Amino acid sequence: MNNEIWVFVQVNGQIIEPTSLQLITKAREIAGERPVVALITETKTMNVETTVKEYGPDKIVTLKDAQFHNASDGEIADALDQVVSDLKPNSLLFPATVLGRSVAPRLQAKLKTGLTADCLDIYFDGDDLVQVKPTYGDDIMCEIICPDVRPQMATIRPNIFKAVKHSTDTEIINYSFAFHPEANIEVLSEIPVINSSANISEAKTVIALGRGANNEKVIEKAEKLAGKLGGMVGVSRPLTDNDEFSHENQIGQSGNTIAPDLLINFGISGAVQYAVGIENAKKVVSINTDAHAPIFGKSDYAFVGDADAFMSALLEQVR
Amino acid sequence: MKIVVCIKQVPNTDTVKIDPKTNNLVRSNVEGIINLFDRNAIEAALQLRQQAGGEVILLSMGPNSYISSLRDGLAMGADSAILLSSRKFGGADTLATAYVLSEAIKKIGNVDLILFGRQSVDADTGQVGPIVAEELQVPQVTFAESIELQDKNQLIGHRLLDNLVQEVKVHLPAVVTVRDEMNQPRYETPLNIQKSFEKEIIIWSENELAVDPAQIGQTGSPTVVKRIYSPEKAGRQTTTLPTDPHAAVTQLLEELNN
Repeated sequence: MNNEIWVFVQVNGQIIEPTSLQLITKAREIAGERPVVALITETKTMNVETTVKEYGPDKIVTLKDAQFHNASDGEIADALDQVVSDLKPNSLLFPATVLGRSVAPRLQAKLKTGLTADCLDIYFDGDDLVQVKPTYGDDIMCEIICPDVRPQMATIRPNIFKAVKHSTDTEIINYSFAFHPEANIEVLSEIPVINSSANISEAKTVIALGRGANNEKVIEKAEKLAGKLGGMVGVSRPLTDNDEFSHENQIGQSGNTIAPDLLINFGISGAVQYAVGIENAKKVVSINTDAHAPIFGKSDYAFVGDADAFMSALLEQVR
Repeated sequence: MKIVVCIKQVPNTDTVKIDPKTNNLVRSNVEGIINLFDRNAIEAALQLRQQAGGEVILLSMGPNSYISSLRDGLAMGADSAILLSSRKFGGADTLATAYVLSEAIKKIGNVDLILFGRQSVDADTGQVGPIVAEELQVPQVTFAESIELQDKNQLIGHRLLDNLVQEVKVHLPAVVTVRDEMNQPRYETPLNIQKSFEKEIIIWSENELAVDPAQIGQTGSPTVVKRIYSPEKAGRQTTTLPTDPHAAVTQLLEELNN
């Protein structure tokens, strides 16, 4: 076993999933003397390492095979198992994306080690990687360690940390392994989602709607307001049951973490599942009829009153 | 088709508190409900049964109080339910939980499809499905938003990856974890509720399963909870805006522009 921290670099099509780069920066920050290693799976014609190198890992390990194009979760986990079992890193971090959260547990099962999902923070206490995640809602955080087994594995929430470029001498290792095709699964196609409005986690302005703003009039006005402000509409969990919203619009623990310059919450009470998703918002304005709603404790500006009335006033007065 | 749906009973998340003295979760008097996403998994199973025939078996691991969720699942229309319950299973993390579930699925035998909700709403890991798939050496379609049976042995699933939709064909048996976009779970009808009480809930402990004692419960769990706490965050300085909406917006826009 060595003392390296490895970060799995997720590549979607030709694009590096930004969380992977954020994790390289975070790993460098907590590493101390431990080397930070980026782990890349890619096709032979790709050169993801060129970009990854700019973020300053001490080492890059690449696994190259043409079949990584349209590879299944099981195939990726199998390839990772070969290199991880051989080189035995101390810790292994994945983005808590759909892919990360699907591949990491399969690898965990092969390695018979621990895996903590969707961490909001990580730090070292001696050799233990302390993995911090919210649990059971209601303002409860949990610190989890994996004291006796290595690697220590965690998936980490996107957009919690910032990716920062760093120049260093990076050793690049092309690791030789055998791609084992999984017999009972075939990825038929991968179609990019044309998402004109981009991802809510990257929106600069977010108009968020909760149970107290769940009526068509308000939703319509919110769309208009978002258009005027160049922002996006997000929702708390109950509103994902509406036809016009899905998980992609959801803010909070089981949805998206957002970091806009301006967030305006309408009719959101502010349960912790929601609150953890908005911690990185710069300015928070909240509108709620309940003066004691927890959301006001997480807000810079509070309006106690009707969501519709405030929204109408905003629509009139915003140019 | 033999379909197993793995479900978890979760506390009503708003009601769990932390004991300030012991820093432990206070779970007494907390009502347990079926994990929301697991209802979508049960619904998907019931629809497949309608299409292809067969049976829907509910499977859960936990204390005897979990019977209430299994009863709810039976009332939705599942055929039978198995609870994996034993003191020895206690304190299990995702690895140990998935191991016991896998052994139970092996014991059930000839299972074509294993469904899970995409993740639990309490611990929120979404890991148990993929670990079970690995333990059973079967393919997985996680975070599926649709599944379609091609024939008795094949299924096509769509899953939304981070910026693309992946279409996957799997040969059964397979594991599928279900997103809530897939369907609208049905309500329990009075007739099905009545029927659910006529169905037996089978309980298996380690004695009924071929489990390795080293891989179950706390012993089989590599992770340890080091600390549970209520974070005390530096709150924001909150400015209360005037009660008149127009005056409030005027003040807000002024301050935001500064």
